[in-house]
Amino acid sequence: MLDVLTQVAQLALNGIMTGAVLAMPAIGFTLLYAVLGFPNFAVSGHLAVGAFAGWILNTHYGWPLWAVVPFGFIAAGVLGVATQRVVVEPLRGAASITLAIASVAVALLIENALRFGFGNTLRSYDLPLARDVTIGALRFGPQQMQTAAVAIVVMLLLFALLRYTRLGRAIRATADNASLAAVKGIDTVAIARLVAFVGMGLAGASGVLLGADTAIDPLIGFRLVLAVFAAAVVGGLGSIPGAVLGALVIGIAEEVSTIVLPSDYKSAVGFLLILLFLTFRPRGLLGERRN
Amino acid sequence: MSKSMSSARRDWLRAMSVTAIGAAVLPRSAWAQAGTPIVIGSLTPQTGAGSIYGPGMRDAIAAVVKEVNAAGGVISRQIKLVSEDDQTNPEATVRAARKLIDVDKAVAILGPWASSVAAAVAPVCWESETMCAIVGSADNITRLPHKGFLIRTQPNISMQAARFGRLALDQNPKSIYFLGPQTPFTQIYIDVVAKMAKDKGVAFASEIYDGSKTSYRSEVDKAMKFKPDVLLLGGFVNDNAVVLRDIYRAGYKGTMIGFGTGVNTKLLESVPPEAVEGIYAVTPSAALGSPAYKRLAKLINVADPGPFESQAYDMINLTVLAIAQGKQATGPAIRDNIRKVSQGGGTVVDDAVEGIKLIGEGKKINYEGASGPVEFDQYGDIVDSKFRIEQVRGGKLTLVEIS
Repeated sequence: MLDVLTQVAQLALNGIMTGAVLAMPAIGFTLLYAVLGFPNFAVSGHLAVGAFAGWILNTHYGWPLWAVVPFGFIAAGVLGVATQRVVVEPLRGAASITLAIASVAVALLIENALRFGFGNTLRSYDLPLARDVTIGALRFGPQQMQTAAVAIVVMLLLFALLRYTRLGRAIRATADNASLAAVKGIDTVAIARLVAFVGMGLAGASGVLLGADTAIDPLIGFRLVLAVFAAAVVGGLGSIPGAVLGALVIGIAEEVSTIVLPSDYKSAVGFLLILLFLTFRPRGLLGERRN
Repeated sequence: MSKSMSSARRDWLRAMSVTAIGAAVLPRSAWAQAGTPIVIGSLTPQTGAGSIYGPGMRDAIAAVVKEVNAAGGVISRQIKLVSEDDQTNPEATVRAARKLIDVDKAVAILGPWASSVAAAVAPVCWESETMCAIVGSADNITRLPHKGFLIRTQPNISMQAARFGRLALDQNPKSIYFLGPQTPFTQIYIDVVAKMAKDKGVAFASEIYDGSKTSYRSEVDKAMKFKPDVLLLGGFVNDNAVVLRDIYRAGYKGTMIGFGTGVNTKLLESVPPEAVEGIYAVTPSAALGSPAYKRLAKLINVADPGPFESQAYDMINLTVLAIAQGKQATGPAIRDNIRKVSQGGGTVVDDAVEGIKLIGEGKKINYEGASGPVEFDQYGDIVDSKFRIEQVRGGKLTLVEIS
């Protein structure tokens, strides 16, 4: 019995570490959805851009990880503003499905541009691997716990920004009703660009963390984007704490499912959760009910 | 608007006039030699999991085509190579194959690399009577009713698995664990090695995972619980890069063995050295040191061509030689003649240009390739292959043996 409990605890812990990787891009994805009103799948391309920007600084100039993460954020954020201006703003007023399809096209363009520039070869950050730490019967990965901590700090900072600052109120007002916010004198275009910067920046920063933990190639974001989408849907599209919770739920559910299912069905578990939530609780775990 | 249209019309008329004058003044022999080019399709993975190998394969094929064309072509016709990306994706492969066959009128398709891709393209080829040379190594592909339009230059999975299992058992283990991604051939590996282990009284267990994940901690935990003396890794570079990190983090100290498709220089570039030190790699070997291999190295200007570049070189040479032998550039003619130039004795050749010359002189030839003797059984499988056993020592792949 103790053995089974230990196994479940270890799998849950592994799930938290898997979920931590999803949490940051899920926060970016959900923030973009809340303000721009469509699922922006271009997070996958921006995640890859952040990962490559970080890789250049780390391997060519020897920058440490703590310095590389903000750079990945800025690189992807700047690109996010550019795609907002060039692709999203001209489509203002179009149906959300049109914008979602355009975002897929942007993701493909960015990933192919990276492939053109860097090729398909896998690349590794120049960082040493740390052995896991064993406490009791449980194994912890220091690097993954670091990623989880960063995701939680980012979530708290963003949450505080949105809740307690004037800028945050402007963002929330734009998310609730952009037309009304504009009437009240809020520059909704500037707010949307700022959100594109932050949302895509988060994807870029998570690309750096993921790259440091695994290896990078132009499709690093593509492989993750559906799981990110699942996390945002399960947590409640538009809810920042929900994105983190959704990511952890997806991660834990996938790992714990291996007790009864073969490992190669893990991905199906995430999508089963999407189906269940869309059917029985469309607003997700922490999403607000929308009329 | 009307001005630009009339300008376009003038340009078109001018171009047509130049063409017509050219037709009038060019000597008759130039037309005869130009003829209609023979179209051969290269369908290799430029993107996706196989993208590490595809560009090299495509370049090897292109280099041979260039060489043959420079020497006057085959059956007095030039070869036009059309290269497509199979994306390591069966659906994309079928679309690309249909384009090569229906639009470009390719008589042969060379290179489908992954087993899933090769299995998808095979019916498209045999239904259209297009010759197809594949790498994809799942056993059952060549057992499909392909009417002879399929050959495979890579040893099949059963051959590879047996070599994999033999190396594992050579370590005198008490237990062996197989950890690999879901692919059409993973179960064959498991079955072959499990039987070999059972025959020797060695404990065996396995786990198949989803190859697109960012973490394999739980799968590695399961493996560690089994306490394997030998850990067999069935993954490709992309998933091995993640799996090996998690194995290192878990503190595994036993022997690891992987396939050359998953443990190679590309992997060493993408994983910290401490995670790969000591791992063995088993790869169907190119015929190192053979005249064809040396020739290929010079032709593509690569010091140490890999097995897939070598196979691609053999695919195009065999195709061209079969066309020369059959004096026809059609799928059935290539099918009917490919074994006449690859086996059964004759003057040994290692390149198409020399072979075309000898065939023209009425001589029987036997092509010996860069990947091996390339002799095929009735299913289209090669009958023999050597394997290269390497080990990562001091961060570098070091040759242990070729056997």
